[in-house]
Amino acid sequence: MNTQVIEKNSSQALEAPLIARDIHKSFGELEVLKGISLTSRQHDVTAILGSSGSGKSTFLRCLNLLEVPDAGELIVHGQQVRFKHNRLGEAVPEDEKLVERIRARLGMVFQQFNLWSHMTVLENCMVGPLRVLKQPRAEVEARARYYLNKVGLDNRVDHYPSHLSGGQQQRAAIARALTMEPDVMLFDEPTSALDPELVGEVLLVMRKLAEEGRTMIVVTHEMAFAREVSSHVMFLHQGLVEEEGAPEQLFRQQESERFRQFLSTNF
Amino acid sequence: MSFDTIIQYGHLLLEGTWLTIKLSGLALVVGALCAMPMAVARCSDRRWLSRPVRVYISFFRGTPMLAQLFLIYYGAGQYRHELQALNLWWLFRDPFYCALVTFALNTTAYQTELLRGGIQGVPRGEIEAAKAYGMSSWLRYRLIVLPHAYRIAFPALGNEVILLLKGSAIASVVTLFDLMGQTRTIFAKTFDFSIYLWAALLYLLITMLIVRVWRRLEDRLNPHLRQRTVQRSSTPAVAVAPTE
Amino acid sequence: MDNLSLLAFGSDGWGDELLSGLLVTIQLAATTLPLGLLIGFAVAGASLSSHPWLRRFGRGYTTAARGIPELLTLFLVYNGIAMLLNAVWRWLDPEAGFVELSPFIAGVIALSVVFGAFSGEVLRGAFQALDRGQIEAGQAIGLSRWDLFRFIKLPQIWRFALPGLGNLWVNLIKDTALVSIIALNDLLRMTNIAVGATKKPFTFFLIACAAYWLLSILSEMVLARLEERANRGVRRA
Ligand SMILES: Nc1ncnc2c1ncn2[C@@H]1O[C@H](COP(=O)(O)OP(=O)(O)O)[C@@H](O)[C@H]1O
Ligand SMILES: [Mg+2]
Repeated sequence: MNTQVIEKNSSQALEAPLIARDIHKSFGELEVLKGISLTSRQHDVTAILGSSGSGKSTFLRCLNLLEVPDAGELIVHGQQVRFKHNRLGEAVPEDEKLVERIRARLGMVFQQFNLWSHMTVLENCMVGPLRVLKQPRAEVEARARYYLNKVGLDNRVDHYPSHLSGGQQQRAAIARALTMEPDVMLFDEPTSALDPELVGEVLLVMRKLAEEGRTMIVVTHEMAFAREVSSHVMFLHQGLVEEEGAPEQLFRQQESERFRQFLSTNF
Repeated sequence: MSFDTIIQYGHLLLEGTWLTIKLSGLALVVGALCAMPMAVARCSDRRWLSRPVRVYISFFRGTPMLAQLFLIYYGAGQYRHELQALNLWWLFRDPFYCALVTFALNTTAYQTELLRGGIQGVPRGEIEAAKAYGMSSWLRYRLIVLPHAYRIAFPALGNEVILLLKGSAIASVVTLFDLMGQTRTIFAKTFDFSIYLWAALLYLLITMLIVRVWRRLEDRLNPHLRQRTVQRSSTPAVAVAPTE
Repeated sequence: MDNLSLLAFGSDGWGDELLSGLLVTIQLAATTLPLGLLIGFAVAGASLSSHPWLRRFGRGYTTAARGIPELLTLFLVYNGIAMLLNAVWRWLDPEAGFVELSPFIAGVIALSVVFGAFSGEVLRGAFQALDRGQIEAGQAIGLSRWDLFRFIKLPQIWRFALPGLGNLWVNLIKDTALVSIIALNDLLRMTNIAVGATKKPFTFFLIACAAYWLLSILSEMVLARLEERANRGVRRA
């Protein structure tokens, strides 16, 4: 690869750290994603909406290759991920190392938090930067504490996840993602597993992140959040993008009857 | 019941106790070292890796340890010349090494199975999170899966320590003077039944000690399961994954 | 002699001897099972009783019988009971000679003592896992205590305890090998005898291991079926 290509790649990467084109994914007979595209530019906050089973999680998981797309193109930070098919006919990435590097640049926040239960909150935040990014300990610890402070957990750094409320756990998970300093943050229904009274604290943190200009892709059922915070809204239905656009416009007027119905039942 | 016998032969019982502890302790350590890679192999998707481990576990858990000991100790005699040629005869001629090898093979099977349970008990989401953070499968195993699996399997492993310690009493059958062996010789000399009771007491003491120690260790290992009562200082109390 | 003819039946093969040993092994385990279970129920009952002394006894018995090597228990029983019997005997008839306890009986007693302690724990766990609501429902429709036990509690205890008891059964089969040390003609001892005569220790002990292995695998298969049956009507999560 010559330097020119790298130049071009990184300038493209600067404006769009994540590009997915025409992503397809099936589980056996079931075709879950039938060609979904998404370009996430710097500072974009993309909200992905859709009823349960429409393929939102699968799409998000395809972006950091927790699921491997059957077809389509995925370009993360200017690097294209190539796939091949193994003997069983399953799609697998060509370069496992590249996948690991890409994952390290995309912060993932799960519906069920998925904190590592045998580590304290601080250790949860530190282990990725230390072991995956191989950054120096002092720097990592300072950063972890900074982000834990930011999500309001500065007095919980030495607690284990099981000693925290759901909202605190999710904020810790967000801090864990942030400590990796990812290019893009992926959220898969981060408030759906929370008791209603705990939803607010997590949304507040996410709002702050959006205001700071972080690039985020958020699968959510929180319509107010999608309308007020996001810069782009996608509505998925049965594995296809049924409607998408800027929130100001989409929430005022919908082309799709289904999207209108979805909004009327979810507000 | 008089104390004459125990006063006269007590030191022999203690010597036997030491051999029992040495024998089972060594076997347990060897077993622990072998069990980890084997458990990982057992959990592999690759059949050619997991299959042999399954058969190994099934065999050693499905046959009496005494029969295994005979197979190794006496069975080796059938291949004496071959073993001599391989320079391995010293190992199979010695009852201590034979017992050690048998116990180690046996406890490896049990520990592997327990660890497998632990590995499969690690919440899927935590493994998924490790993937999502770019950890290679080696890092995932080292930092997330195995530390967690050991915590899950820990109580059962304590049980295995006790079971092997008790099981090691069969070493006396191949002329070793472990606690059981000493007890039998002393009884054969004195016909004083009380010596069995003393031996029982010693075994009980050791097992109870192990239970105590294990509970302590478990508490140490699982601060995340402990009820939080006091605020801990800001440095991590236990050196889990990221430290070192 | 090649290996196959070593296993022939009749006077010059060891097949029939080994088979008779295998039968003794099975008899020993099968005789121990009901006795051991009986002890197990008693111990579980004692551990759960409201009577503090019974509870203490239950706990003490469990700790002792589980903490002492099976082999030592066997010798304790074998020599202890023999000495006791002889003392009683001589007291009744000072002229009597030495009586010996049959190894089979000693084996059954020792293995039952051990099985009782372990199964007691399994059964206690099963008792404690009983669904109070279903018991109250039984009381509400006026079942007698005995019927309540028979129709409501026992099937559930059975279901909860089956996996644990199954493990103990496999352990029991393996523990029977210990009785060969006090000269019961079980599978392992018959193998020992065959080894003495043929000087083929590896071959014969391997055969013995294979026989035990087969017993264990068969037991596990039967147990899997039993568990399936016991779990009908219970949906898996
Ligand atoms: N690993 C999987 N294996 C088989 N089917 C799956 C798997 N993951 C998701 N699905 C199916 O794919 C469809 C879409 O799931 P998902 O992406 O989780 O939807 P959403 O997040 O929008 O609720 C569902 O019908 C689900 O059952
Ligand atoms: Mg979902």
